[in-house]
Amino acid sequence: MKRIHGLFVGLSLMAAAGGCAGKDNLLVLTPDDSGRVGALKVSNDGGEAVLDREGQALHLGDRHTPPGALAPVSSEERALFAAALAAQPLAPVSYLLYFEFDSNNLTAESRQRLDDILRAARERDSRDLLVIGHTDRAGDADYNAALSLQRAEAVRELLAGKGIGAEFIQVSSHGEGNPLIPTADEVAEARNRRVEVVVR
Amino acid sequence: MKKILFFCTGMFLLGSFAAAQTEPAHIGRVKGTSGMVSIQRAGALKPAFPNMKVYLNDTLLTGSDGAVGILLEDNTLLSMGPMSRLALDKFDFSPAQNKYALQLRMEQGTFVYLSGLLGKLAPHAVSLDTPSGTISMLKDTNFMARFGGDE
Repeated sequence: MKRIHGLFVGLSLMAAAGGCAGKDNLLVLTPDDSGRVGALKVSNDGGEAVLDREGQALHLGDRHTPPGALAPVSSEERALFAAALAAQPLAPVSYLLYFEFDSNNLTAESRQRLDDILRAARERDSRDLLVIGHTDRAGDADYNAALSLQRAEAVRELLAGKGIGAEFIQVSSHGEGNPLIPTADEVAEARNRRVEVVVR
Repeated sequence: MKKILFFCTGMFLLGSFAAAQTEPAHIGRVKGTSGMVSIQRAGALKPAFPNMKVYLNDTLLTGSDGAVGILLEDNTLLSMGPMSRLALDKFDFSPAQNKYALQLRMEQGTFVYLSGLLGKLAPHAVSLDTPSGTISMLKDTNFMARFGGDE
């Protein structure tokens, strides 16, 4: 029993040392790429607080301590996150490639974009690319399902030919069912004859 | 007709069960590491490296010089600095079934959270447990957080 007690004291001292080593717990609301922030709520046994403005900082204690007052984040506080910010991965990026009518030939302009895709894949050391084929609504749905898959596979081959491992590329196709520009059936719409490539 | 439907449902459930048994789906990937970074999975600790898949119930840990960034399947981006610990408790991103969940446990350290599709499509399905209480998303947002450790 004594030994158990000793262990407990030891553990709680460790916990206390861990708790005091830093300053308070801290939460900071940050904007997205377009400068927009949303809102979040922290709740615990002591109460709750809502953050909904860019750069708002909230100091917190343990689960029983009521959340502190909201204040603008200071540069010292921002500095705490330098290592985590430096480790932030690049966000996935997606590209649209367009095709000639009733064909799996890329338009000349889209052919030029392949190098951008390669660069994005290299920057991310990506082993996770999605290639999703689509068609317009000219022709019947079954034919378009096959055509959209052919388009996606053609793009996979082009990317693999430029050095991206084919095993890292997942192909799927949506036929005419997921148009970028909604049209009536049987309408040929160049912007719907596309393959989306997502580099993750 | 009813019987056929029942049979189909049964087959479907069996199918998804079998799939779940053979290979659990990953929920994201490690995208970058520096210094010492490990993943605790089923009681074992293994070093983390870029492009490693992460699974439900994994815990990510960084050493005193460590930092790591991960990308979840819904495009949520998470990164953490030294002496940090993050548990991946719940993840469901199934727009076709309208099923969404993201529950993470930020146990200790520094975190940068960049919201993904889960935050956009279902902010109320996002919840983060921390030593200071529970963070819930009211409206899709990014944030940073720091926790000294458990009380």
